[in-house]
Parts: sequence; C-alpha cells; structure tokens
Amino acid sequence: LSHASLLRPSDIISTVEFNHTGELLATGDKGGRVVIFQREPESKNAPHSQGEYDVYSTFQSHEPEFDYLKSLEIEEKINKIKWLPQQNAAHSLLSTNDKTIKLWKITERDKRPEGYNLKDEEGKLKDLSTVTSLQVPVLKPMDLMVEVSPRRIFANGHTYHINSISVNSDCETYMSADDLRINLWHLAITDRSFNIVDIKPANMEDLTEVITASEFHPHHCNLFVYSSSKGSLRLCDMRAAALCDKHSKLFEEPEDPSNRSFFSEIISSVSDVKFSHSGRYMLTRDYLTVKVWDLNMEARPIETYQVHDYLRSKLCSLYENDCIFDKFECAWNGSDSVIMTGAYNNFFRMFDRNTKRDVTLEASRESSKPRAVLKPRRVCVGGKRRRDDISVDSLDFTKKILHTAWHPAENIIAIAATNNLYIFQDKVNSEMH
Amino acid sequence: MLGKGGKRKFDEHEDGLEGKIMSPSDGPSKVSYTLQRQTIFNISLMKLYNHRPLTEPSLQKTVLINNMLRRIQEELKQEGSLRPVFTPSSQPPTEPSDSYREAPPAFSHLASPSAHPCDLGSTTPLEACLTPASLLEDDDDTFCTPQAMQPAAHTKLSPPALPPEKDSFSSALDEIEELCPTSTSAEAAAAATDSAKGTSSEAGAQKPEGPQESRADDSKLMDSLPGNFEIMTSTGFLTDLTLDDILFADIDTSMYDFDPCTSASGTASKMAPVSADDLLKTLAPYSSQPVAPSQPFKMDLTELDHIMEVLVGS
Repeated sequence: LSHASLLRPSDIISTVEFNHTGELLATGDKGGRVVIFQREPESKNAPHSQGEYDVYSTFQSHEPEFDYLKSLEIEEKINKIKWLPQQNAAHSLLSTNDKTIKLWKITERDKRPEGYNLKDEEGKLKDLSTVTSLQVPVLKPMDLMVEVSPRRIFANGHTYHINSISVNSDCETYMSADDLRINLWHLAITDRSFNIVDIKPANMEDLTEVITASEFHPHHCNLFVYSSSKGSLRLCDMRAAALCDKHSKLFEEPEDPSNRSFFSEIISSVSDVKFSHSGRYMLTRDYLTVKVWDLNMEARPIETYQVHDYLRSKLCSLYENDCIFDKFECAWNGSDSVIMTGAYNNFFRMFDRNTKRDVTLEASRESSKPRAVLKPRRVCVGGKRRRDDISVDSLDFTKKILHTAWHPAENIIAIAATNNLYIFQDKVNSEMH
Repeated sequence: MLGKGGKRKFDEHEDGLEGKIMSPSDGPSKVSYTLQRQTIFNISLMKLYNHRPLTEPSLQKTVLINNMLRRIQEELKQEGSLRPVFTPSSQPPTEPSDSYREAPPAFSHLASPSAHPCDLGSTTPLEACLTPASLLEDDDDTFCTPQAMQPAAHTKLSPPALPPEKDSFSSALDEIEELCPTSTSAEAAAAATDSAKGTSSEAGAQKPEGPQESRADDSKLMDSLPGNFEIMTSTGFLTDLTLDDILFADIDTSMYDFDPCTSASGTASKMAPVSADDLLKTLAPYSSQPVAPSQPFKMDLTELDHIMEVLVGS
C-alpha cells in the first residue's frame, strides 16, 4: 500500500510512527502535514484484505514561520511524531518541527443527533408555529468524520533545533531535545518546561559535541538516554539531580584504530537511539552500523551489525555531497529479536539477532506489487557478481530510507522512501523470526 | 556542493583519496595523505562558508565540520612543530603580527566584508610572506623577499612604539616588492609540486581573526593554507561573524551591527590593516587576547637584518 504523488519537496516524508496498538500509523512530511493511516479491521468476508492501512485523517500540523531576529525561516517540516498512550476514545499525538511541539487530539464522530425541536435539519430556526409536539433528539449514524484539533502548543522552549521528543511512561510528562538542551514538559502545561540537560558551553567556540537523539526508558519513568555526535550515549536518572548534566552511565565504544580515518568522528555520530521493548537494551544507528547495547555494560555494544560497510571507502565523496550527514533511524520488532534500518538506493536492512542472519530489501514500485514477496537484494563490492546484484557505484544516493517503523506486535513495517510510504506485512511466518 | 541527482559515479581521483589514514611519515604516501587532507580541508571550508541557507544550518553538521577542520589544523601544527624553528631572542607577542598578517586580501576572498586593498601588494606575495623563514634556506629564489620582510615586520610591530618603525618598514617593504615582482609566479611554480598550493586563496578565505605564528614554522605543506589555520586557531571557526550570529546567538543582533567599517572588537580582523595607523588600531583589541596555543613565529633579529641586507643589496 503506497500513496504516490508528484515529487514535491513538501511531500517528502520526514517521520513515521505506529501508535501503541499498531492500529494507527502516523507520517509527517516536509510540508508540515500529518497523515494518519488506520488499519482496517480483519474482515471475515475477505480474509486476504485484512489488516490493510487506509488513510484515516490528514491535517496541517505546522506552518512555516519566520524568525525576524535572525532573518531565517523556521521549517514546517515535522521532525518527529510520538503517540500518547490511549486513555479514552480519542487518540492523541505529539508532533514537532524544529521549534514547536504540538499536542493533537484525534476524535471520531460517527453519529449525529437528529430531531431537534427548535432547529431543522440544516440548523435553521423553525417557525414556532409549526412545532406541535416535543420530540427527543436521537443519535443517528453518519459517515465517519475524523476531527483533529490542537490541544496544546509547546512553544519557545528551544533555541536550537528539536531532534527528538519522547513521552514518559508516566503518561504525564514528555521530553524534547535539541542540539544542546533537553527539556521536560508536563503534557498539560505549555508555558514552562524544566531544563534537564544542558551541554551548551560557556564559550560557543568550545562547542565540539551536540545532542543527536534522546528517549525515555519504556518502563522506568526516571531514566532517559541521549546520544551525541561523538558516538556516546548517556543514561541519566532524573532522581539524581534536577539538572542531569552528570550521566549515570556513559556508553562509549573505543575507536578501532585500524579503521581510523578523517571521518571517524562523523561516522560515529549517533543518528538514532531506541530502547528495546523490554527496556534491557538500546539500539543505536551511526553512519555505517547499528549497535545493540546492554544497559548493564557501558564499555562497548554487545552486538554490531554492518549496514553498508562498502561505503567505508567512499567516505570522502559522501562527505563532499553531504550524504555522510544523513540521519538514518532504526527500529526494533515487537519481540526485540529483529532490528531494522534504512540505507541508500531505497534499500533497507533487517538483522535477526538470534540467527545472526541479515537481509537487504528494496522499497520500490517494481518490487511492491500487492502481495508480492520482496526479493532480497545484494550489493556487490567487486569480485563475483550475481545477476541481480547492484554495484556500489551505481547506488542511488538520493534514494535514502531514513525513516522506518515496526508495528509493536506484528510483523508489519512502514518504510518511508522519500515521498512514498510502503507498508509491508508478513503474513506467513518467515525465517526472520 | 555537487549535485545529488541520479546515480553517482565516484571519481577515481576521489577514490584515490579515500581510505584509511596513512602515516604522514611515509615517503610516497605522504603526498597522497596530505593531498587528501588538503582536499578534505577545502571541502570543509566550502561547506561552512559557501552555504547560504534560508533556514538555519544544522548545528550538528557545523560542529562536525568544525571539528574536522580543527583536527586537520592540529595535525598540521604538530607537523610544523617538528621542523627546525628560528629561536628568537625577543619575541613579539603573537597578536600584532597576526593582525598584520590578516591584512592580505587573500582571506577576503570568501569573507564578504574585508575588501581592503593591501598596500603591500597582491595576495600572493603576502602568502609567500607566511612561509617560514626556514624556507629561505631551501628555496632562495622565490620566498626570500616578502618573507624576510614579514618576519621583520612581526618583530617590529609588536612594541608599542611602532609607528616610526613601521613607516620605514613599510617603505622598505615596498622597495623590496619592486625588487621581486615575480615572486608570485615563482612561488606558484615552486608550490606546484606541493599539495594544492593554488587553492590557498579560496581555501584561506576565512575571516582573519588572529592567525598564528606557527605558520611560520610550518612546512611548505602549510603554504597551501597560508592563513587558514591561523585564522582559525585563535578564535575558532565558529566565531566567523556571519555564521556565528546565525548559529550560536540566542538572541543575536550583532549580525545587524556587522559592518566592516564600523564593527570593532572581534571584527577588527575583517579590516585589512593597510597602513601603520590601521595596524595600530588592530593591535589594541588583540593585545588583550590570550596567545593561542601555537608557536609564535620567532625570528632572530640579527638574522633578519642579515637577510634584509642581502636582499636590499646594501
């Protein structure tokens, strides 16, 4: 299931996120729009069409703004969407651009009252002389209407660009992180936030490291992690101090001297960090690898997977064309046994932690006919080349899969390939589990 | 930046530059290593200073590029420190000579405001000036004149009682300029064998902010980056006024104050001191600045006199 459109820059998908049940899938794009897909309930009549995602709601979340003081535009691009746990019939999500976070409430209306005494069907006042008896209005079904309204706007909390938001397991607070600071908000309070991390140096000339991503622990509401451009992770405990400048744990892998290059620092920058569903592990993505960290071991990751090591000899070119700064995200499956991340040429990779097998798949129109099985792809780096292999030099670096999401419980993945969204479902148990 | 459309073909040239670090001390690989380093340095500078986005540039990207530049600079500094150094008797503080060396329009190439024509001649002679005096021993024909004069300038500029000396010095310099009109081309030829010296002007286009004396100690390799590192070192890349205002100021109005004619502290570097008076003016802000952690250019006064005699032909 994919929605195609002319390639307008505003249509480029910038974030993808399933809600906690997987029933809803939200995407944000560069034009500030949010599109929510809903999974169709399984139908006994057509068992093969069960569980497909259809558009549920579309709304404009953010608009471009202009910072007059700096004479710079503030992009409306949605950087992140995070769903709140559902507490009533309505759904809520947080969406953020570089500067402002908004809480949206999504409600359904599928009934409307009919039979008012004083108003007619169109709402015009009735001529009282025509009213001869009282009637009780009844609720009649109507076409489903999804209404979205902004309930909170959390503005002016960030001087620098927001890169992450994360809802706390207490369901009352959430945090937002920019390049240098992390703020803690209460979902009901918009006019103030607590600054819990601040790495801005007194002299900006001394700035050598920025915050790249952050996330709350899924179960311990006092713990959160943030990653840096130097490849380190810091686990912080909010009980320890109001300002969590001192980390509780620092996760850092020593540099491999045999792989040292000019670009060592840049490729070590962590672009995404995700706690496992169990809360025991963390998954990080840097330019060439994904790594699994055990919260109990700070010295090094317990697993490292090469995403596209064939790019290691191309780093200078990738630096020149800025691709080396691409921020790929990563994802766990529901059982924390498989991890997934995107790459170039519309490829995405999955790694099975148990079997240690990995696969490269492509998100493209040709390979995505309905119910077609995705064919594994291979990138060859010279030597023997098989028929369908792609050579490193013919990879399309404009087709990058930065954003991927995995259904919290089932083997359904959402892949954002530039302006197209691909949703792949695994109906049959495959060897990946 | 290179276009991103379509499939990329990697240049063989770039492929040759890729890969792991080679030890700089290796003979034949040193050239490719330094060439790679030079290329990366130039790319980094272009990224920082050619980019005029409508939105704020990514702070992370800027920081990473800055770190790259700093690392290369540190490396070059270390390499420069391995070379024989003129040990001076009396050292002028770094800053005055730095500010003096800021003069050249070489650095105004990309930085918009500094467009002062330099009395001392065109860009290249001044670049030549920035090579270490030690090179005089290696290469008589090209680097002699302006270089020799520049070190003299440094030592003479520092003490407060400058004006009279500078006046005479400037005029002496002018004479020497006339004596060596081909220094530009000659030095370009000499540098041809070095890594990409020709790119120095573009690469060097930073806002001069206090170039380091260590330049003088650096090898010919550093020639290709005449003032870049110095410009960078003392106050860091991040203090480029234009970019700094955009990136780091929470509420920043200094961008609107920025004017090559009126801005004072910190931006004095944008003014090319072309006269003794200008030099005096620029000396003041720098005198309070801490000496950056680089080796000041040290030249023995007697050696300088000797060189001057030789050149002036007295």
